[in-house]
Amino acid sequence: MTEPAPAIRVDDLKKTFAFGFLRRKVQAVRGVSFEVRPGEIFGFVGPNGAGKTTTIKMLMGLIFPSGGSCELLGRRVPDVHAKRRVGFLPETPYFYEHLSGREFLHLCGRLFDLPADERRARADRLLEEVGLAGAASRPLRKYSKGMLQRLGLAQALINDPELVVLDEPMSGLDPIGRKEIRDLIGGLRARGKTVFFSTHILADVELLCDRCAIIVGGAIRDVGPLEKLLSPKLLHTEVVIERDGHAEERRLPPGDDVQAFLREALAAGGRVVSVTPVREHLEDLFVREVEADKARQ
Amino acid sequence: MNRVVAIAINTFREAIREKLLAVILVFACGLIAASFGVGKLSLHEELRVIRDLGLGGISLFSKVLAVVAGVNLVYKEIERKTLYAFIPKPIHRWQFIVGKYLGLVVTLTAQMALMSGVLALTLLAQDAAPDGALVRALVLLWAEALVVTAVAVFFSTFSTPLLSGIFTAGIIGIGRSTPELHALITSQLKDVPGLQTTLDWATQLVPDLHLFYVSGSMVGGKWVTVNAGDFISWSYVAGASGYGALYAACVLALAMAIFARRDFV
Repeated sequence: MTEPAPAIRVDDLKKTFAFGFLRRKVQAVRGVSFEVRPGEIFGFVGPNGAGKTTTIKMLMGLIFPSGGSCELLGRRVPDVHAKRRVGFLPETPYFYEHLSGREFLHLCGRLFDLPADERRARADRLLEEVGLAGAASRPLRKYSKGMLQRLGLAQALINDPELVVLDEPMSGLDPIGRKEIRDLIGGLRARGKTVFFSTHILADVELLCDRCAIIVGGAIRDVGPLEKLLSPKLLHTEVVIERDGHAEERRLPPGDDVQAFLREALAAGGRVVSVTPVREHLEDLFVREVEADKARQ
Repeated sequence: MNRVVAIAINTFREAIREKLLAVILVFACGLIAASFGVGKLSLHEELRVIRDLGLGGISLFSKVLAVVAGVNLVYKEIERKTLYAFIPKPIHRWQFIVGKYLGLVVTLTAQMALMSGVLALTLLAQDAAPDGALVRALVLLWAEALVVTAVAVFFSTFSTPLLSGIFTAGIIGIGRSTPELHALITSQLKDVPGLQTTLDWATQLVPDLHLFYVSGSMVGGKWVTVNAGDFISWSYVAGASGYGALYAACVLALAMAIFARRDFV
């Protein structure tokens, strides 16, 4: 049996911008390659200015690559047939202020050639899902940043896409809003959709992603499942001992005898509050990659 | 086609809510209606004053509306990033330009219909009805506005509204003066045939807007005015409109070619 085509295939993608009168060249993306498999949630992680949005804009046909190629659902970008099966949420979405939330979703539905009754049904269902049913008739100029973000997600789903591309979907949202969007993304996975999202919020990646790519300085540093990217080895053991009413935290390096340390602490009249073996988090990996990039420069 | 219509409807809805355009339109209608009062000041020339002022007002304000709306049309979409929600949808980039232009055409048509309605009411207040000559003159002005809109949209695909406005105004100025320019080039540069030919070709690139405002000028060696019986024929209107449509199509094709290659950073 042949494997299905990747939902996204990016091969040696490059983008160079020319700025100013002298056309000074800045390479924003330097030969990025990765694949996103159908049905997975893929995180595209990197610090600000790493090239995440530039890569996504190339995928969405908003800017043209200087080199390399990218495919969506097996078709080379830009392709109108592939676009029919893709939903996209831009970073900090801006929509037509004169329209209401419902009118905007209708407009998006028309661009996908959806019949009027289907547009109506989908718009109402999506407004309900993103928690905007009560503001459906309000003009978008009266929407808050968080509400626009939710509407952006709704318009990205109006065509019931196979692949959803989200550029910083959690930006501008409060913790409750972030949780709701995380739940929505989780719901998309349950419905068999492929989700590709960029973020610099590492907790979201750890909570949601099957695999992720780390991009730093316009180049991919690591791609794979989180458990493979993160080093399984113990970094240190965190021990908290309470003595005379004061809590004291100690970090024991991997080679130290934790049992002996605890016995000694108890003998000295202390009380063990917690013992936590600390392994590498995505944040550690991320910091390691960013620092390695700085060292390379 | 459905997508082009959707973009056109959205453009129309946005344009009719634009406060600046509404203010210009109200001012234009007020000025056209004021021609009734100005006509009263003339000596038995009330109808001529109303027609001339009315047509002049519609000509001026239709172009102001076309330039103001046209130069912002694409630039604003890029600047406000509203375009980011459109381009990833299953549309071709050229469909976006066509949809935006058609939306503006509908808007301008509605605005010019309103100004023409005010002129007709002003004439009726003077116990005169709008005649065929006036309708032909209005159709020509409408065709001219569509050419100007296409030029403004073209500049809007790669330039800021201020520069696009200056460029479009320049094109209007040159386009309205093509007979004078040809005469100047012929009389002043007859000793420099190379330069004369080059400048003649250069003026061909600019739309001949003089074709669209003929009242009070020579057409085919004959003096024509909307106030006299023998104004230009419908066949002239069809010919000039055909030229305008062709010119607008060429300019829009260029706009689409530029837009198709643009990076939306």
